[in-house]
Amino acid sequence: MTSGPNHAAKTGSALAISNVSKVFNKGNSNEVTALSDVNLDVHTGEFISLIGPSGCGKSTLLRVIGDLTGFDSGSVQVSGKSPADARRERLYGIAFQQAALFDWRSVSKNIELPLELAGWDKSRREARSAELLDMVQLSEFGTHRPWELSGGMQQRVAIARSLAVDPPLLLMDEPFGALDEMTRERMQNELLRIRQETGKTIVFVTHSIPEAVYLSNRVVVMSPRPGRITAEISVDLGERNELTRESDHFFHSVTAVREALRLHDTSGSNMSAHRGDI
Amino acid sequence: MNSKLSYVWPPILIAALFLGAWQLLVVIQDLKPFLLPAPSLIATEFSNGAMLMWSAAFYTGTTAFLGLLFGTVAGLFMALLAQRFITVDKLVAPLAAGLATVPIIALTPILNNMFNITSRTPRVLVTAIIVLFPIFVNVTRGLMQVNPVQLELMRSLNAAPRTTLRVLRIPNAIPFFFTGLKIAAPLAVIAALVAEYFGGPQQGLGSRIASAAANTAYGRAWAYVLAAIIMGLIFYLTIIAIEKCVTPRTTKTVKTT
Amino acid sequence: MVSLLWALAGIALIAIMWELTKVVGTLISLPFNASDQAMPHIWTMMSAFTLPEVRGSDTTVFQAVLAAATYSLMLALGGFVIGVSVGLLLAVIMQRFLFFERGLLPFVIASQTVPLIALAPLIVGIGNQISFGPVQWSTTYSVMFIAAYLAFFPLSIGALRGLQAPNATSLELMRSYAASNNNVLWKLRFPSSIPYLVPALKVSAAASVVGTVVAEISTGVRGGIGRLMVEYARETTSQPAKVYVAVFGAIVLGLAVAAAITAVDVLLTRNLPKKGLA
Repeated sequence: MTSGPNHAAKTGSALAISNVSKVFNKGNSNEVTALSDVNLDVHTGEFISLIGPSGCGKSTLLRVIGDLTGFDSGSVQVSGKSPADARRERLYGIAFQQAALFDWRSVSKNIELPLELAGWDKSRREARSAELLDMVQLSEFGTHRPWELSGGMQQRVAIARSLAVDPPLLLMDEPFGALDEMTRERMQNELLRIRQETGKTIVFVTHSIPEAVYLSNRVVVMSPRPGRITAEISVDLGERNELTRESDHFFHSVTAVREALRLHDTSGSNMSAHRGDI
Repeated sequence: MNSKLSYVWPPILIAALFLGAWQLLVVIQDLKPFLLPAPSLIATEFSNGAMLMWSAAFYTGTTAFLGLLFGTVAGLFMALLAQRFITVDKLVAPLAAGLATVPIIALTPILNNMFNITSRTPRVLVTAIIVLFPIFVNVTRGLMQVNPVQLELMRSLNAAPRTTLRVLRIPNAIPFFFTGLKIAAPLAVIAALVAEYFGGPQQGLGSRIASAAANTAYGRAWAYVLAAIIMGLIFYLTIIAIEKCVTPRTTKTVKTT
Repeated sequence: MVSLLWALAGIALIAIMWELTKVVGTLISLPFNASDQAMPHIWTMMSAFTLPEVRGSDTTVFQAVLAAATYSLMLALGGFVIGVSVGLLLAVIMQRFLFFERGLLPFVIASQTVPLIALAPLIVGIGNQISFGPVQWSTTYSVMFIAAYLAFFPLSIGALRGLQAPNATSLELMRSYAASNNNVLWKLRFPSSIPYLVPALKVSAAASVVGTVVAEISTGVRGGIGRLMVEYARETTSQPAKVYVAVFGAIVLGLAVAAAITAVDVLLTRNLPKKGLA
């Protein structure tokens, strides 16, 4: 049962993205429209995946939300505030494909980094860091160095770090992309468990269809040239277990996403039935 | 074009500000040349004594060039030996590392005794020794730090060590060689200069700077210094020019300490 | 440890070649002077350690060389500290402000083409005119200045590269924490620069020693090992081996400094992963 800190805001708007466009290298020969007229509403507590081929703008959209890059037109509201304000008030935590842990800090101190920057005092930081390590089940590794941990463990630390200031929103850019398949599935379950315990809103970028379907309430399909949203597919898998990935519902949802992707696939790399020369 | 310009104007601006401030300081404080000569004075001395400067620079430059040449050849030879025979590397590498901290120029008096002090031989020798070490260290690294996957490829092709050397190791070592050369060239100039302080023929730049200073002709001394700087820059820029010709644009220049 | 043995083997090899050359010199005519005056036997050099420095004096050559080497070490240390501080300051400024990187870097590089050691007599001349209130500039300060000048360059280049080393992901992470430039400098850039600083410190230390000794020679400063070498070199007709003791002293000085920096290296990097930097 979710008894997380954001109970009161359960039905609020976490993200309101309206008519957002972004162009790189405007006016030059290598001008590219990364985002074109993107609209997306995310409610508090939802798990949204952004999926699409390279160049579709999913990572750019994530960075726009996090005020890590600007946008040219439209509006973005994060918990009712501008992205810049949301960033300054630390209303989101972020995790990347690279864990980006600092080699010169212990695991605990890595998790404490955002807390130091937020001005927490020492005892509070240490307590919170221990709490988070416990949540990702790495309590014995607090004094270890990042390079002593496996890839999956490093990502768990990165996720713990993203939860440090207890932000209502989590942004994740293909955090499991560098992991092997078995570790990946384990991490997906971990993430779902953490979400259930904390009730966070999560925006998750991936290029794996089964991953998007397994994790999300809604899969947002994007397409490149220009970068835009082409479909939103609701997924309701309920309680996940070992059989979920083999269920009919899972298969249908994956197929729906796959077909949505194929519909707007302009790269010509999909193999249709009447190409017999391969 | 825009981006190239943005690299060029900041240093020019800072140089202009620096020279301007220097000139102003001398004029306002009415500094005597024995304290700090004005850039204008140095420029005058430089153009007046151009012939003398040229011959002094040529003398020291030749010493530096010869030292650079012999040191490079020796360094290359030793690097090839070190790569081929691991014993050589094990013997020389700790010495090379240790000698980096040692003022090798201090060997000049010893060499002056062993060789004829009135010739330029001791100076060329000490310059060569100073040049040898950066060349050796960098070229050895370049010959040995080859991608293991590429070595496996050569082995799978049943390539003899000499072939691997020619086809893989030497091309791999070229950027490292130039890194070493860029360190060695200015060092050669400075070594050739400083070696002149230990006695011997006095027609080089180093001797001239010292004697001008001793005669309190500081404007002239600084003019000779300017000549020395220009010579050092010429050596360095020549190396860069050679490097640009030899290395295709797709090769990354390797930065080593 | 093993490399120490190899180093000793290398030294032994040189000693053997030295004596061999002398033997060959008695048999055939060599292009250089291999007499006992120009090339004393190794054992003559060893015995010179215990010779009285000046006829009738109490101090042995060894003691004189030791005192002089210590004096030079102090000067080199002073120059090193100043050079490193200036180098670090320049690196921080150049990293922070692109204008200064583009404007100063060419001069930093060009500064090394200035044969400052050749300028030593001029520096002394200028220096002796300066006084900061009651403190009169002495020639020793000129020597330290030269050592500092030679030391600052490798350090500023190495430090600049180190400060610019953090990857894009780590920088985005810091931005997501709304970290100030100072925060990024102290918590990310400086720690990341340690692997680059250490090799630069080694080069700087070596440069300080070389700079000190050579500056002593060209300025005639008393008390240091440079001056001692020149003095002993004048006695080659009567005591040819003394100059070698002085040269050994200079060599040991350099090696001692290198060992000290290696100890600092071990201290700073003991908690970092053991990866090499080409």
